[in-house]
Amino acid sequence: MKADTSQFPQLDKTKFEQRGKEFEFGIPITNSVCLGNSIAVGFGDGTVRIFRSGKNSKTIKAHNGVVLCMAEDGNNILTGGDDGRFLKISIDGQINEIYNFGTRWVDHVEAINGNIACSSGKDVYYWAKTSKQPKIFSHNSTVGGLSFDTKGRRLAVSRYGGITLWKKDYTNKWTSSNLLWKGSHNKVIFSKDGKYLISSMQENQLHCWRLKDKIDFAMSGYGSKIKSFSFTDNSKYLATSGAIDAICWPFDGDGPMGRKPVCIPYVGNKKVSFVETFPNENAVFTGLSDGSVFLSEIDKEDNTIIIRSFTEHEVSAISITNDCSNLLIGDMGGNILWTSVWDN
Amino acid sequence: MEASNKQVPVTVLTGFLGAGKTTLLNRILTEQHGKKYAVIVNEFGEQGIDNDLVVDADEEVFEMNNGCICCTVRGDLIRILSGLMKRADRLDAIIVETTGLADPAPVAQTFFVDQDVADRTKLDAIVTVADAVHLSTQLTDHHEAEEQIAFADVVLLNKIDLVEESGLNIVKDRIKKINPFAKIINTKKCGVPLNEILDLDAFSLKRVLDVEPDFLTSDHDHEHDDDVTSLSFVTDTPLDMEKFQDWFSKLLQTKGQDILRTKGILDFKGESDRYVFQGVHMLMDASPMGKWPEGKDRSSRLVFIGRNLENMNLKEGFENCKSA
Repeated sequence: MKADTSQFPQLDKTKFEQRGKEFEFGIPITNSVCLGNSIAVGFGDGTVRIFRSGKNSKTIKAHNGVVLCMAEDGNNILTGGDDGRFLKISIDGQINEIYNFGTRWVDHVEAINGNIACSSGKDVYYWAKTSKQPKIFSHNSTVGGLSFDTKGRRLAVSRYGGITLWKKDYTNKWTSSNLLWKGSHNKVIFSKDGKYLISSMQENQLHCWRLKDKIDFAMSGYGSKIKSFSFTDNSKYLATSGAIDAICWPFDGDGPMGRKPVCIPYVGNKKVSFVETFPNENAVFTGLSDGSVFLSEIDKEDNTIIIRSFTEHEVSAISITNDCSNLLIGDMGGNILWTSVWDN
Repeated sequence: MEASNKQVPVTVLTGFLGAGKTTLLNRILTEQHGKKYAVIVNEFGEQGIDNDLVVDADEEVFEMNNGCICCTVRGDLIRILSGLMKRADRLDAIIVETTGLADPAPVAQTFFVDQDVADRTKLDAIVTVADAVHLSTQLTDHHEAEEQIAFADVVLLNKIDLVEESGLNIVKDRIKKINPFAKIINTKKCGVPLNEILDLDAFSLKRVLDVEPDFLTSDHDHEHDDDVTSLSFVTDTPLDMEKFQDWFSKLLQTKGQDILRTKGILDFKGESDRYVFQGVHMLMDASPMGKWPEGKDRSSRLVFIGRNLENMNLKEGFENCKSA
């Protein structure tokens, strides 16, 4: 399924493509997570592959279906599949089945400080680090997304009608409160400083709550659903997909209310399908629906470089290793670019 | 690229409690059809036998936050269809079973409203399984049964071996009065070749052109009550596009809750193309569909299925759209 480029003059490969490795697996790539200096990738046939600098990638047959979700859990990855299994997989490929939900899918997984959680249907299952038995958090509708704050004391669960915010007190007792907004909420994340909670909606907009005073507002104007969004490490910007520009909302000061986002344009008017911020920088990797990927500095105009040229398949995964040495890009056509970030 | 981008057809299986949906699902799952199907069910509790995939779901009807009061979608379907599209293997079709009391509109509307769903899948047809013995009573007692017939592209009239021929004709007349364009297939124990219910492309605009003209030209009696009925209009006088758009959009905005389905082929003055549309409540899919066939008369035809149609001045509204 490669694009027919014979009609074009031979396009030069980017320097990242020239020095990196390219793979064509032909199977949709659903997720990727960074695991120290390795990157784990989930596929639509249940396979997980782990890429490590200087070594061959490792292939693990994990699920009997789609790897629907992944999260990093220390030296392990957590995966959930449409085979109903919630797995913990070690970096050397050992699989430990934590729970089997049968014909119910495992839609979301999360981990923080050794505590792990997954959702299947309307319930979130939470295992404290020291506990073998899960605690079950129930909701009135199917869970659209979940996210821990950086301390692991709060768990946001998005659903139809808003967010259920679970909080753990110092006796480890969980209580919930509701942040309501009409409509169906999907992916949810905390800002890295824990001050804001953002959810993407079935409508083409994001909803945001400022947690200190529960002020909430919508961020709209998108041409399609916002499936990917990511805060910079200093929480200054929220980079978002869903438009033909990478839309970056300012979250410094009093937040984005009444302020304009930074819109980073790319040639060709393709939709932004995936964004991942660059660690410790105000910069964002932007993946487009044609497979091309760029790196842009948010604060500086016209400071964009191309990382990968088009493949004709929507970018569905971008991860960078913890030491910022290596980058992995994956798309829905199963193409992967695994490359070093810096010139040698 | 063509093959990989082809939309997977989705068949919606509705039917009142006890009509025989489970029997039909079992047939689909056990028959040696050589195809790969995914079946989305509610608490089915059985695994696919012939290489098929069974997905458990809860029906979750979401209101869209877009200011449109009757715009509801099936949230679980959006989630599951997007998951299925990530699979490595290619599905030949997806079958969605709804519960006995479900309104088919949110399922159909999901394909109009959600862009991801519309990009990768297409609503193929709504197939309603009806119990020949009990349908008449169910239609009288339950709105849902009427809606399931009103939305159907195909009605499987099941258990025909348990009714007399005269009784069968009464049931069929009742179905036709609600929905004149549904194809009625008589079955015992849902015995029907799968190619008569799957991959029909009934929701494509092209298929609107195949609508039986005799249904469109005949007038139907309708009861002056809350029953679902159909009304159709035809004219050889070309329509004024602006007047039609004005009338029709206002009509759907104000009466969209009572109008269940609409279909039409329109001849606009000064336009060489045929305009075709079909709608579910307030949502509509419309497009020019090429030139009128040469040597054939041009005419506009319009069909409504819904409640309280007699109170909407449809005839007058349509007449007013004729070009001067």
